Amino acid sequence: MKDMNMESRVLIQSNKIEARKVQVYYGTNHAIKDVDVDILDKTVTAFIGPSGCGKSTFLRCLNRMNDTIPSCRVEGLITIEGEDINDPRVDPVQLRAKVGMVFQKPNPFPKSIYDNVAYGPKIHGLTRNKAELDDVVESCLRKAALWNEVKDRLQAPGTGLSGGQQQRLCIARAIATSPEVLLMDEPCSALDPIATAQVEELIDDLRSQFSVVIVTHSMQQAARVSQRTAFFHLGNVVEYGETTQIFTNPKDPRTESYITGRIG
Amino acid sequence: MKSAFSFPFAALTLFAGAAFSQDQAVAEATSSSVLYRLIFALGIVVFLIAAFTVGRNRAKTMRSKVSEMHSLPSFHGAVTLQYAALGIVLAIVLHLILGRPLGLGGAVAASLVLGGAGALFGLSTIKADFRARTFTERTIMVALILCSLVAVLTTVGIVASLVVETGHFFELYPASEFFFSTVWNPRFGGGSSLGILPLVWGTLYVSAIALVVAVPIGLMSAIYLAEYASKSVRAWVKPAIEILAGIPTIVYGLFALITVGPLLRDYFAQPLGFGDSSSSVMTAGLVMGIMVIPFVSSLSDDIINAVPQSLRDGSLGLGATPSETVRSVVIPAALPGIVGAILLAASRAIGETMIVVMGAGAAAKLSLNPFEAMTTVTVKIVSQLTGDTEFASPETLVAFALGLTLFTITLGLNVVALVIVRKYREQYE
Repeated sequence: MKDMNMESRVLIQSNKIEARKVQVYYGTNHAIKDVDVDILDKTVTAFIGPSGCGKSTFLRCLNRMNDTIPSCRVEGLITIEGEDINDPRVDPVQLRAKVGMVFQKPNPFPKSIYDNVAYGPKIHGLTRNKAELDDVVESCLRKAALWNEVKDRLQAPGTGLSGGQQQRLCIARAIATSPEVLLMDEPCSALDPIATAQVEELIDDLRSQFSVVIVTHSMQQAARVSQRTAFFHLGNVVEYGETTQIFTNPKDPRTESYITGRIG
Repeated sequence: MKSAFSFPFAALTLFAGAAFSQDQAVAEATSSSVLYRLIFALGIVVFLIAAFTVGRNRAKTMRSKVSEMHSLPSFHGAVTLQYAALGIVLAIVLHLILGRPLGLGGAVAASLVLGGAGALFGLSTIKADFRARTFTERTIMVALILCSLVAVLTTVGIVASLVVETGHFFELYPASEFFFSTVWNPRFGGGSSLGILPLVWGTLYVSAIALVVAVPIGLMSAIYLAEYASKSVRAWVKPAIEILAGIPTIVYGLFALITVGPLLRDYFAQPLGFGDSSSSVMTAGLVMGIMVIPFVSSLSDDIINAVPQSLRDGSLGLGATPSETVRSVVIPAALPGIVGAILLAASRAIGETMIVVMGAGAAAKLSLNPFEAMTTVTVKIVSQLTGDTEFASPETLVAFALGLTLFTITLGLNVVALVIVRKYREQYE
């Protein structure tokens, strides 16, 4: 019975993002080599691997943030719901509204808490009036588990919050454009354990609405929050599969070495 | 050791002897007496270097005998140098206070005695546990404080002299006339009207036009350079814009007088019925605006570059276009600095003289017509002080009152800008 459920769950989940033979070059440096990864819908996917292995670079391919780096060149096919994101007809600006991103260091804008969350809806014209915008701001702050802490000071500057609150504000800001995929680049590396636990809990909640891709250096974190894990090493995906399988029964000796702490 | 130390004395004595024999005979600064003074200065430098070397060598010798020394030998050398320098400064100050009783020779002799005493005292401090490093650190701090005091005291001195002379002016001329009269008509024989209003109006009018030209152009080119331009474009365009700041204002003045003025007169003022003056507020304002573009663009560019990349990434990651990112994230974050840059440009414009003389003329007028010749406070300060009248009549003393008013205006501008920045500042980090 239990196995049946597992089986049906996997069947229902369709591929949100498919990446085939993705190559990334920084000038002449070949940073990502032949990466094939499928990201499932409504699932948390973790990218783990030693520093410089290309996991953040690959993450930034998924919303074409690498376009902002002049020396960077991306090859290969990346599709979101079957649509090639590197197609010249795709507007990277629209793509980034659909694929939200949370960065390593909390980067609230030098604006009020309210304006930080309202930023995306405003530039994309997602709301028709102030009342609707208020609702969006409130619901996003609630989803980011920040509402109760800031509801009395929405006009205070976002930069005045604590590090953990700032990161949750950035998550609220990212989900305010109602993205389909949320990319998180080491979202907890600048946070203390308590704030980390809050953000991890939040990631688990967000899974019901978005497909979440998280880059992390903490293998415990990957094990805690993700359902699927990809292990990157020297620009290649060494192993990709169910998180439990990666951590309990890795197929590749390099994966085993990394998760037991021998390389990295 | 002894011989090493006696060398600078010998050198200095040599210079002194040569200087002394000459100096008494020469009352005014002939070329040879200037030469001797330069040699004296050079002698001081040689002496100080020698003091340093001797001190360091002595400490080195001591270091080879003693097991532990607190400071490295060069710090002991530096302490010896500091005491020697202190002696020389004392000698020269004494020489000046006493009214130079013995001429240059006296100064040299006093420097030798006190500088030598200082150096000897410095040498006597060299001991294993003497904290020469800490001592040097403190001396450096004192030197830094003295340097900043020079700037502060100069400002205080300038303001004080302005205030005093302005006081003299108001004894001779009623303040109410000066501030509220709309006529500027100085006559060097008495009976002049010295109303500042036309001058202040001209200053503000010209500066406003200059800023209307410079701020949008400067800011937008700064945004282009900082946010859009590739590295190679930036490497060429930025210095090219900065060249504008290096052109002497008199050249801008020529440009205003010969090209811009007649052009504006022939193609705008005359056809549109604004009069037929070739020198006009508009001419001076336009040319001055071009002159201050680099002040706005170069500073703003640096400030925009200092906005953390993470803020841009955050905005772009939400699906904002580059220009939306600039408008709603980068500029607000950089605003305090940008206001500072604009303010610097405004001060430059308000204080500018040459372009106004050649572009806007020298007629003090209160008029709204931008194609009319007008003049500014600075131009009138120059014209009141050129010529050979003594500083006793209101016609010359008015220059100080004008200067003080100008200073107050710029100061007020600074204060206003500070308040604005503090109110609208959007902190990052």
